[in-house]
Amino acid sequence: MTARTPEFGRFAEPSLLILVSLSDGPKHGYAIMQDVERGSGRPMGAGTLYAALVRLEDEGLVVPLAPVDRRRPYRLTAIGASMLAEQLRGLTEFAQQGLRQLHELEP
Amino acid sequence: MRSVLIRCYPARWRARYGDEFLAILEERPLGPYDVADIVLGALDARLRSRRDRAATPQGRGFTMSLRLGGIAAIVGAAILGFAWFTVFPGAISMEPIVLMAMFVVGLGALLVALTILSAFQARTLPRLVWTAFALAAVGVVAYVVGLLGLIGVTEGAVTSGSAAETAVTVAYAAGGLAAVVGFALFGVATYRSGELSRPGAVLLAAGPALMVGAWLVAFTVAWDLGGLMMLGAVGCFLTGWVVLGIAAIRLDGRKPEARPA
Repeated sequence: MTARTPEFGRFAEPSLLILVSLSDGPKHGYAIMQDVERGSGRPMGAGTLYAALVRLEDEGLVVPLAPVDRRRPYRLTAIGASMLAEQLRGLTEFAQQGLRQLHELEP
Repeated sequence: MRSVLIRCYPARWRARYGDEFLAILEERPLGPYDVADIVLGALDARLRSRRDRAATPQGRGFTMSLRLGGIAAIVGAAILGFAWFTVFPGAISMEPIVLMAMFVVGLGALLVALTILSAFQARTLPRLVWTAFALAAVGVVAYVVGLLGLIGVTEGAVTSGSAAETAVTVAYAAGGLAAVVGFALFGVATYRSGELSRPGAVLLAAGPALMVGAWLVAFTVAWDLGGLMMLGAVGCFLTGWVVLGIAAIRLDGRKPEARPA
């Protein structure tokens, strides 16, 4: 069964970055921000992080865990993992197609 | 600064995410980019919160109507109660035209309340609610038309003994009876749906039933006793509307249990 891809609008990219960050285990908000910054080279603000997290939680792609010292970790759900894999496969195909076209143009 | 920024978010969002969000903000100093990002995030949360409320069964559009229905019920009952009070000997003397206008406006307000509260309750008991609504609404309109027609007869505008007089008399009697049955049924439907106020529903159903009893007693047993019963019937009916109106306004003010963002 193919999961429906939610429409996150301008939060689509931050949502993808968060899902990737959570793919190796639960993390709290600040750890996600640091992880995203390391991975993408760009900072993610707390406002953007929570706007995307709320959407991901509403769609059942991540779940909140019990807070530890006010820091609440979030975990990727099975649906979230499936959605992430699907998106990454789509991006890979897109990248490969782009590279093929680029090579065809090269002399 | 951080607490000011957090207050930009809706209360329900803060209740759910406030602590963990503040913990993140305390991790590092805030720069202009962070402040702008948080303000935009708060704006997004407020827009989503508004949209989510509108999407709930008790969403803003509907609850605004529910509040309007509650206000119409209270205002209508108050106007009719005042108009009824002026009829008693020794009470405030009013011009008949003013009294009639109050009567029509009061009934009109109750019709507005009836329409809105019926639409609200029709989700649970559609057939009963809409039957009650149709009977009461058509009955009230026919009753008012009949009453105005009968006033026309006494004023000489409608010829006595004509077909027009018969028509307005039938409209008055049949309309009154339909309205009484319709309002009683609406009280029963309101009690059964249990969404507004059951005590109010009982009062609303008891009022019309008592009215029928009052008419029977007045014309067959004792006029004064019938009048006394009618006083209680009208009191029950109008109090029932006020109680339902308050319940509708309270229900409107209740926070919907929607997701926090």
